[in-house]
Amino acid sequence: MRKKLVALALSLCCGAVVAAAADRIFTTANPATELKRLFPAATAFSTLTGEPLHFTAYAADPKVTPATPPLGVAFWTTDLVPQEHGYHGPIHILVGMDMTGVLTGVVVTYDSEPYGYFSVEPPKFATQFKGKKIGDPFRVGGDVDVVSRASISIASATRAIRDSARMAAKQLLAEAAK
Amino acid sequence: MDPAVESWREILAPQALDLCLLTAFLALAFVSFFRKSVALKYVTLVASVGYLGFAKSSLVSVSDVFRLTDLSVPEFKYSLAWYAFMLFVVFSTVLWGRVYCGRVCAFGALTQLLDPIIPRKWRFEIPVRVEKYANLIKYAILAAVLVYFLITHDVALPVRYVEPFWMFSLFGTTGMWVGLGVLLAATLIVRNVYCRFLCPVGAALGIISQLTTVFSIKRWSECRTCKICEKTCEWGAIRGPKIVKSECVRCDDCERLYMDQKKCPHWLILFKRKGNTAVPVSTLS
Ligand code: SF4
Ligand code: SF4
Repeated sequence: MRKKLVALALSLCCGAVVAAAADRIFTTANPATELKRLFPAATAFSTLTGEPLHFTAYAADPKVTPATPPLGVAFWTTDLVPQEHGYHGPIHILVGMDMTGVLTGVVVTYDSEPYGYFSVEPPKFATQFKGKKIGDPFRVGGDVDVVSRASISIASATRAIRDSARMAAKQLLAEAAK
Repeated sequence: MDPAVESWREILAPQALDLCLLTAFLALAFVSFFRKSVALKYVTLVASVGYLGFAKSSLVSVSDVFRLTDLSVPEFKYSLAWYAFMLFVVFSTVLWGRVYCGRVCAFGALTQLLDPIIPRKWRFEIPVRVEKYANLIKYAILAAVLVYFLITHDVALPVRYVEPFWMFSLFGTTGMWVGLGVLLAATLIVRNVYCRFLCPVGAALGIISQLTTVFSIKRWSECRTCKICEKTCEWGAIRGPKIVKSECVRCDDCERLYMDQKKCPHWLILFKRKGNTAVPVSTLS
């Protein structure tokens, strides 16, 4: 009986902490270094705005030279495909894309995958997306390397990059072409 | 080019093999559990280490307990095998107790397979008095990592330093491997030391089984005084007449003894009374 009560109390505690586990946002508020890595040639970036939310990269500060064309856009997978979850929660990836729909790179800034340390965190994962076109298959085991034993994480991150890039291209690149 | 263009075929094809193998393995675990066969149990343990451990590296981890607090789960349609696995674990625990620990978890299977490595007499048996309290350590560890997770939202540290399941992925730092070596060495001396005293997953499943176990193990009235099963239980789950549900992993050792008409006093007494030496098995229970 006492055992039962202890067990019950423990599970109640677990329930109580559900309420305490309030939302926390991990997205890097000002990803200046990450943006610079995606667009080394850029000297100015817009703030995170638009629909869908994105940064725009410029070779020259558009405030000084208003006619300067954008080099590309960068966006968070977590803004564009928030429903995409890995093994445990969304994987936060900043994706850079030039104005022709070619990825300039991706940066994984945060994840809470138990096996993130050998799946999505090593730079090897991110580098393989550089130069990919939005029309590419993005197939794990095809043009994206398999990491056995962490397949849920790898598959989720890959889908997040693919879907967000296609979404951004559809809405932003068409707009830029006008 | 649209984000959502995958057909069901494209979603299912990459998962088909995984699903089939998992189903086969879980079926084996169930059959070995219901047949109470020693040979099948060892087959299951080896399959668990090889398949669920080294090949798939997919065990219930403390991070799966964390997800109860934020309700964050993998996407259903892309993770069918994972959902099947979790359903199996929850249902089997609700119905029979920690069956998962007894034959599905690859680490538990590994430590059970380590048992015959050193002779019995070199082992250290924890006194029942101490064991009663040492059992509670795992609940404290579970509570501690839960609090740690709620404060920091960090999964990586508990997964690497509190539980040893990463070993099956073979990705570890020197420090992690040294820690694992110490743990396995300790397991040789004190049987199933991690599962009995330290594992937060075992603790969580223990809580579920304590509250819910539907089909518990039968005990004879003779069990009150007889100590054969209590001594046999490698998990320290039998205390006097009672089986502690949260510690029992349904390994079948005691159940086989109850049925053993040559060893169990229940039968010996029964035969003496009846004056014959055997009863048909169909009249048991
Ligand atoms: S107690 Fe933990 S390590 Fe042991 S079998 Fe259960 S889940 Fe696995
Ligand atoms: S010997 Fe019996 S009580 Fe002990 S773990 Fe096995 S099934 Fe449970």
